[in-house]
Amino acid sequence: MSKKQEYNKVTPQVVKRIAGVVGEKYVTTSKPILYSYVSKGIMGLESCVADCVVRPKSVEEVQGVLRIATEESIPVTPAAGGLSGGFACPTIEPGGILMDLGEMNKIIEVDTDARYLVVEPGVRSGEIWAYMKKKYPGWAPPVPDGAPPAATILGDAIERGFSLVTGRYGPQADTVMGMEVVLATGDIVRTGSWALPGAKPFYKWGIGPDIGGLFLGSQGTMGVITKCAIKIMPHLEHKTVVAYGMDNPYDMQDLTLEVSKYEMGIADHCVMVQGGNWPLVMTRWPKERVPNGYEAYEKMGISKWWMNFEVWAWTKEELDFTVKKIDEVAKSYEERTGHKTPQWKLHPKQIASRLLKPNKIAIPYALWDAGFLFITWYTPWKDCGEFSEIYCQKMEEYGFPPVMWVASIDHAREAICMPIVCYDATSKESIEKVTKLNRETTEIFLDKGWLNYRPDPFVHAPLTFAKAREYHSLLRKIKKLLDPKGILHPGRLGLP
Amino acid sequence: MESLKNLQKEIYRCIHCKACRFAYSGEPDRQGIGEYQGRLYEGTLTGCPSGKEYGWEAYWNAGKVWIARAILEGNLRFSDEMADMLFKCPTCGNCEAQCENKISTVDVIEALRAAYIESGAPALAKHAGIRDSVNDPTMWNPYKEKQSDRTAWCDGKRKNLKNADVAFFVGCTASYRQKGIAKATQEILDKLGVNYTVITDEACCGSPLIRTGQVPIAKKVIEKNMKLFKPFKQVLFCCAGCYRTFRVDYPKVTGSKLPFEVKHTMEFASDLITEGKLKISKPFNMKVTWHDPCHLGRHVGKQIEKDILAGSNNWLSDQRKADQAKQEWYEKPRRVLKAIPNLQFVEMYRIKEDAWCCGSGGGVKSQYPELAIETAKERITEAQATGAQAIVTSCPFCYLNLSDGVKQMGSNMQVLELLEVLNKVI
Repeated sequence: MSKKQEYNKVTPQVVKRIAGVVGEKYVTTSKPILYSYVSKGIMGLESCVADCVVRPKSVEEVQGVLRIATEESIPVTPAAGGLSGGFACPTIEPGGILMDLGEMNKIIEVDTDARYLVVEPGVRSGEIWAYMKKKYPGWAPPVPDGAPPAATILGDAIERGFSLVTGRYGPQADTVMGMEVVLATGDIVRTGSWALPGAKPFYKWGIGPDIGGLFLGSQGTMGVITKCAIKIMPHLEHKTVVAYGMDNPYDMQDLTLEVSKYEMGIADHCVMVQGGNWPLVMTRWPKERVPNGYEAYEKMGISKWWMNFEVWAWTKEELDFTVKKIDEVAKSYEERTGHKTPQWKLHPKQIASRLLKPNKIAIPYALWDAGFLFITWYTPWKDCGEFSEIYCQKMEEYGFPPVMWVASIDHAREAICMPIVCYDATSKESIEKVTKLNRETTEIFLDKGWLNYRPDPFVHAPLTFAKAREYHSLLRKIKKLLDPKGILHPGRLGLP
Repeated sequence: MESLKNLQKEIYRCIHCKACRFAYSGEPDRQGIGEYQGRLYEGTLTGCPSGKEYGWEAYWNAGKVWIARAILEGNLRFSDEMADMLFKCPTCGNCEAQCENKISTVDVIEALRAAYIESGAPALAKHAGIRDSVNDPTMWNPYKEKQSDRTAWCDGKRKNLKNADVAFFVGCTASYRQKGIAKATQEILDKLGVNYTVITDEACCGSPLIRTGQVPIAKKVIEKNMKLFKPFKQVLFCCAGCYRTFRVDYPKVTGSKLPFEVKHTMEFASDLITEGKLKISKPFNMKVTWHDPCHLGRHVGKQIEKDILAGSNNWLSDQRKADQAKQEWYEKPRRVLKAIPNLQFVEMYRIKEDAWCCGSGGGVKSQYPELAIETAKERITEAQATGAQAIVTSCPFCYLNLSDGVKQMGSNMQVLELLEVLNKVI
């Protein structure tokens, strides 16, 4: 068993040293400010108060702060946008320095030939969307769909998240062409072709075996990413959304898979393929202020389950052709299986609202009670029906409404399954139930070979790595190499 | 702490999504007015004056909500260092307008301020001065002026009429500092044939006290005003802050519905225009833009929404009704401007529920003038981007702070009070 890492607290002397790097105005130990950064929700319930917050404005300042932290053995939690879990990297015990990268918010480069943009960590989805729309209207940045405009495009990418083109282009990490990373020692490395001085980030696999994957999904444990080159995609003028209803998640799964196998054509136009069940509509409102049973929603024309296909095309003809083909697949599916998958005739306003990016659709689930969690998992697409069935059943067993959202990644090769657990954050009992539900389902799902999207440090990471010991052992060795004193977000992935 | 505890469920709804930082947080595709002085007025923009100015999370709304949660959980106590975080905020309510979880953020901030004062912390220097002045029965106003001079501007024949149906609540700022607005309102009401009166015993509405956490003194003036105005069918206002306080705060503080109808004079005139009872024929040759005062626009708009949803058991179907009612509210001042011949009306980018604040609300103008002015400058720049010659508004505080901002910038922009403009053309 490895010796437990020991860390030091942030002392006034350390604050003084940090102030020497970033300036007094950009470091604080003010208690109210420290508490103002706390977040418990969206992706995890556990977080703690940092000992100090620092807001570096440049790569040099990031280097300086990390060198001090390494010298002093003080943990550092990097964060930028503060979404997807309050903070993608909430500070956890033993606390230390919270590095708020929001001040580093420059859009550095847009290359419409090699088709990427380069941004700093603090560039938010809303900003990059407006910027590209005005300056490069033919090109779309892959901003996260469903996350509000405060989410950062870099954070979403390095966390291997989900974007408005994930159905076509794969998980967001696949859009990363290169990263500039400051290691705990203060050294800077670049990944992909960027590793060669003077080279553009045009080839993500770099100048040899590429190390980029070590930083994607690392939750701030391997290095602080200070620049990222991310692919941009053609922003096509012809867009629509078509939706199909189903009685159960298996028909949702199977029909979607049939459409998605039409790659190099139909499915390539389906940039975003996402659906879910009827409680998604209900739980956006306070539980005592909205009809609680399916009957009312059925009357509104809402199916028990549904799938939206967002289609982008260069021409009206191409759009019509794609929509027609999806409809043919749906009808053929109905005929062959005898299962109903009717087209949901969307009102133009419903289509417009589904096309809006970035949007706030994932936010209001705290209204149902007083808090919610997305406990998100990746499965092979062909398993998403079973995942949905099990999770919905478990949520009901624990007294939570069975809310499920599912989306296709890369032509439904994989599924991102996001149960929305609407709980009462003011109730200890409710929080305990969430924890039990999470543990029980994690044990079931790991046995089935499914992966948690952003493993929390208390349930997902330990249970996952207990099953993948060799992999974890290697990760620990690599971590030791990159971060000798283990200062970067210790504990987050079971990595000291 | 009681008011903070009552908001516990709302406070715990905050998931720290930070949409509250922005204007148009749900409209990333919104068409704007392009680039002006290096700033892009398109899509989603910053909407929080305090967060923009100071940067730390505690100065943005969500940070304050999490401070409130830490206080409720007993992890954080009120301290002197907290004062700036709680009070350097104009309580403009942009954050509340953006919140998909419907957190009453202005109420949370005001409850935090009230709890801060209740904890024994001293009121901030300027706010204490306001409190002492309002609490003095020889004054009842924040300006240290004599109560006997309150209606000195007013035509004597309109004072304390027993047979009037309507009372004109003048407010302290129009009574003592911007008398032109009071006089213009009086003349408008005269021209429109309203049977109204002005009450010489009128006291401060309580707004500056509620905004700065000094609720017990606010309760005293609220009680006094309720007794004075109870006999009337309708009370009209020329001050956005007084109107907001009567409409939104009085029912909360007294625990009952107002016994009279309240209308801002802008709203009164707008309704007459809609009904075809007021036709404006005199021209006003100017290109103008409209600044939505937070107290008159967003705060009342949100209350309209809350009132509709409070009576609904199906928010899924009634939210649209609430949204429509809010939109109708924001149209009212615009309807007045558009009814004036030759007046060329242009909109700024951030308007209505997403309007950028002038910077003077929430006790900021008195205690933190530098924040007030910086915020005003941003609004004036946005107005300049439209090519307007004047910013029209209808709030004495917006009028004052935008005028101060214009002076500091050396801008040619004029700042006009809607009621004064209206008085000239009817």
